Amino acid sequence: MTTHPPASEAESIKVVSSYSDDMIRLHSVVKTYKNAAGEFKVLKGLDLTIRRGEFVAIVGKSGSGKSTLLNMITGIDHPTGGRVVVNSTDIYSITESQRSLWRGKNLGIVFQFFQLLPMLTLLENVMLPMDYVNLYDFDERPAHAMELLEMVGLKEQANKLPLAVSTGQQQMTAIARALATDAPLIVADEPTGNLDSKTANHMIDVFDELVRRGKTIVMVTHDPSLTSRTSRTIIIADGELINETIVKALPLLRHRHMLEMTRDAKRITIQPGEVILDCNQPVDNLYMIASGSVNVMQASGKHGKRLAHLKAGELFGEIELLRGGKAIACVRAGTHPVDLLTFPREDFLRIIEESPITAEVLEKIVQDRLEEHRVKSKA
Amino acid sequence: MKPRWRKVFLDLKENKARTLLVVLSIAVGVFSIGVIAGAYVIISHDMGASYAANHPANIELRMADSNDDVLTSVRNIPGIGNAEGRRVFSIRVHPMNNSTWTVIDLIAFNDFANNVVDLLTPIAGNTDPSKRQVVLEKEALTQLNAHVGDQLVFELPDGTTKTIPVVGAVQDPTTGAGDFLAPPFGYISMTTLENFQEPDLYNRIYATVSQNQDDDVYISKIAGEVKDKLVRAGIPVDRTLTSKTHEHPLASTVNAILGILMALGVLIVFLSSSLIANTLSALLNQHLRYIGVMKLLGGRNRQILIMYLALIVSFGVLALLIAVPLGGQGAYALAAFIANELRFNLLGYRIVPIALAIQIAIGILVPLVAGLVPVMNGSKVTVLKAISGDLARGEGKLLHRGPKRESGWERFQTRLTVALSKRGVHIPRPLLISLRNTFRRRGRLILTLFTLTMGGAIFISVFNVRVTLHDYIGAIGDYFKADVELDFTQPYRTHEIQLLAMQIPGVQSVEGWQAQSADLLYPNGSTIDILNIAAPPANSALVQPILVSGRWIEASDERKLTVSESILPYYPNLKPGDFLPLKINGRKEEWQVVGIFQFVGQQGLLAYAPLEYVEQVNDLVNQSTSFHIETDQHDRPYQDKMANTLDQYFRTNGFNVLQSQAGLASLDTASQSLDTLVTFLLIMALLTATVGSMGLAGTMGMNVLERTREIGIMRAIGAVDSIIMQTVIAEGMVIGLISFGLAIILSLPFTYLLSYIVSLAVFETPIKTVFTITGYLIWLALILVMSVIASILPARNAARLTIREVLAYE
Repeated sequence: MTTHPPASEAESIKVVSSYSDDMIRLHSVVKTYKNAAGEFKVLKGLDLTIRRGEFVAIVGKSGSGKSTLLNMITGIDHPTGGRVVVNSTDIYSITESQRSLWRGKNLGIVFQFFQLLPMLTLLENVMLPMDYVNLYDFDERPAHAMELLEMVGLKEQANKLPLAVSTGQQQMTAIARALATDAPLIVADEPTGNLDSKTANHMIDVFDELVRRGKTIVMVTHDPSLTSRTSRTIIIADGELINETIVKALPLLRHRHMLEMTRDAKRITIQPGEVILDCNQPVDNLYMIASGSVNVMQASGKHGKRLAHLKAGELFGEIELLRGGKAIACVRAGTHPVDLLTFPREDFLRIIEESPITAEVLEKIVQDRLEEHRVKSKA
Repeated sequence: MKPRWRKVFLDLKENKARTLLVVLSIAVGVFSIGVIAGAYVIISHDMGASYAANHPANIELRMADSNDDVLTSVRNIPGIGNAEGRRVFSIRVHPMNNSTWTVIDLIAFNDFANNVVDLLTPIAGNTDPSKRQVVLEKEALTQLNAHVGDQLVFELPDGTTKTIPVVGAVQDPTTGAGDFLAPPFGYISMTTLENFQEPDLYNRIYATVSQNQDDDVYISKIAGEVKDKLVRAGIPVDRTLTSKTHEHPLASTVNAILGILMALGVLIVFLSSSLIANTLSALLNQHLRYIGVMKLLGGRNRQILIMYLALIVSFGVLALLIAVPLGGQGAYALAAFIANELRFNLLGYRIVPIALAIQIAIGILVPLVAGLVPVMNGSKVTVLKAISGDLARGEGKLLHRGPKRESGWERFQTRLTVALSKRGVHIPRPLLISLRNTFRRRGRLILTLFTLTMGGAIFISVFNVRVTLHDYIGAIGDYFKADVELDFTQPYRTHEIQLLAMQIPGVQSVEGWQAQSADLLYPNGSTIDILNIAAPPANSALVQPILVSGRWIEASDERKLTVSESILPYYPNLKPGDFLPLKINGRKEEWQVVGIFQFVGQQGLLAYAPLEYVEQVNDLVNQSTSFHIETDQHDRPYQDKMANTLDQYFRTNGFNVLQSQAGLASLDTASQSLDTLVTFLLIMALLTATVGSMGLAGTMGMNVLERTREIGIMRAIGAVDSIIMQTVIAEGMVIGLISFGLAIILSLPFTYLLSYIVSLAVFETPIKTVFTITGYLIWLALILVMSVIASILPARNAARLTIREVLAYE
């Protein structure tokens, strides 16, 4: 019995472009399930780009569609509409079997329940993907697999069966297996879900090291302590991606509120130096900076004193919306064009009223900014 | 419908593939036992009934020519019911469109319309032939490849031919019923005899006794009286055959074979029940989670037990719906096959109540018994265990209780792989998965292996038995090593025949043989049976006897003979040096036994005495009617050709040739009869093998179902369809090969046992068992093919699985 995959399968995988900085590109991806009750749209036209070398956390409540999203990225499920390009391959233009081989070469998957094959030793589990994609000479595979096990600290356990090692060791083996074919993308599904915090931290350290070596890691997690260690967090709710500006600006909002804001927020672009908010003007919107930066000035003139410099992911206008009254300062675009999301006053106030934690955090921000404003004005 | 009964119904309906697998597992056993039990009952009843319905003769006398007066005197003997006289003679015949001669026995009837003994069953055309018409037995029609309406060319004693039409076809279930080697028969009226240059006289009398028609002793007593009366009237009797009315002469043979079949049937039920146990155990494993939920909602052990027992009974009922009608048809088809081979009629298709009862009992009880343990275990499972999914160790589930010790077997496997790897033997991981998967479910593996091994061992044994039987037939051939047997209707000088025969290219040697018929007597003087004494030259190269004891005949022997061991039932303590009482030409004589040789019981009692002595007794010194000729080649086509050449040659030269036939002719006929028996056994072996391969298919199906998650993982890490399929198929082949190894071992005792039973049934003597590689090779090929076929569907399903099942979120 040979482990070599058929050449035809290996050769016929369609590469859409030779190289791109984007590791993952989703274009208008829709997934609809049908059952007796009717059609149910799980993904509602997602657009997403993940660049090479990013360490991305995907967060979402149960039923939000994050598993379906992961299935789309890993080529495990078919989208009803749209296109998925991973590592320059349109993965749904190839057959299921070709996708398996593509996956073996391009993707390392780390599962929540480790999913080691119970009849193989740890070493054999790590060697298996090499067999499947025919990587390295047959006799060299044990040495390569052993190196990976050594990297995750399991050299001594190499010839044990999975049942004879701890859950943490099983998950470390799963990571070693995900690295077996030197795939550029690692997808991890709740990888710490069944680990104690110490092992979980060790695992994230390993992920950090892999990102430093140039791997792209996409990780589904519920754990906020892990999202803080990733370079980017993508939230999915009700089959839609939350605008990442909103996530950064108001991270503690409930997902449904974030989703509402994502749907209703308007995007505007302001040219460099242009006034966004003038002093003593009524404020009718919350402003969130998507890209670029703004300056908060004491006065509207060109020589007004700069009170603060706000960057992407920060918000302004909240003091006036929460406290009432006119703008206490004026805001002007920085030296580059700035993209803003604006959200109407009444809707914002309603959402804040329903989100006491966010209200509390915003109140703190308001107090801090007022204090800063007071101090800087005096100076 | 209560929700729990609705669940039982839905369990049957929803997973159709699984329901089908379980139902077929049960059905195959029920079907097999239905076929065997039904055929057993039909054959054992109809064989006797059909035989009796044709009013078989209890006494058959083969004697010198006699007339109606003799027949009348026989009819008047007290104890005789009916008696008919017939003339039976051998003749060569061929259809107009085919010049190949076939020897048949023509039987001349006095009155077809008022035939009362050994009745003929009309099949087609006119079965009351007039003058110059012939009716053929259906076996003769087949052998001659003739049809009603065809013209047949008969060869008369003077060498001329006579063309006569076939006007009808009959079945003759009684004439020659006890003789595997009986020739095909044709029937003419006594008025046609003159056309065949035969006298209008009887040479056979077929008689029934008026009472005690199934009493061997009584029938023999009457037969003895008839024979004595004829002999006293100066009519020599060559042979007397007796048989019961309601027992087919081959009944004991057929019953022995049916016994073997019944044993196989019971075995198939065992195999099928192991298959059912396997399937139900896997089903219960799949259902443990539901059981947990039911218990969580208040279901009690007893309720759950009853639910699943009801499910099992439903499987059984569905299996019965399939297997009972098919089994009934199969039983009748099998019985019809045997009936056709042994020339008896069945009394029509019918439901056999006992077979039906056995089927119902097996269809319901066997699954219940087989499923009881898994169901009881399933119903007792704790809620926690059931809903946690932590049911199967090492089946890819999360291990909640931390690391465990590897079992001894697991340690052995991993250490072996490591040790091999250190010696440079690296086993590819996909193959390693197949190998180790094989041993994961050891209980299931053992049941599957048991089924396959049994099927294989029986299959191989049947081939060995076939070769054993043929070897024995071949050994018998050593008594008939002549390539051509040339018989004349009158004696000729041996030297003259030798001189002429040697003129024909290819003829190597010619021996004139004689024969002497004697009555073998009990010590008290009563007749046992005819003893045929063959008389070859003492130094004949054309007989190579298998001596059981003593020595072979010598030229100087006088009143000495070597006898067949078929004489032993009458003289169990017979040994060389003993004297046997014989009646030769009406005179009682004591002949000394010098040796005992092995021979076929079916051939009657046989002995050899040297030609040098017998030709003096017969007053035919240096003459013979029968010549045994050796040619330079010994295959059947060459023998046929030489037989034909010799026949033509001697006829052309004015000799009265009776027949000239290939030496292998009768052996080939015997072999064909045995092949029928072997085919019969082979059908059963294939049935067993079918159960075995279904078991393997079931096991592979269950294995794949249980390993859905693992197959998903394999796909997730790069396994393409072909590798997934290879992994599953390799596992099936590993199981197949292990079973092959075990079947080789088990086939040894099976072969000995089966050979013993069959040889006792057919030859009435145990024979030397011979083994052949053929059965092993065929089974190896078959098991590999079956393994692949059995695994291919599960493998295809496995390859079609997506990885969605693996990622257990949402």
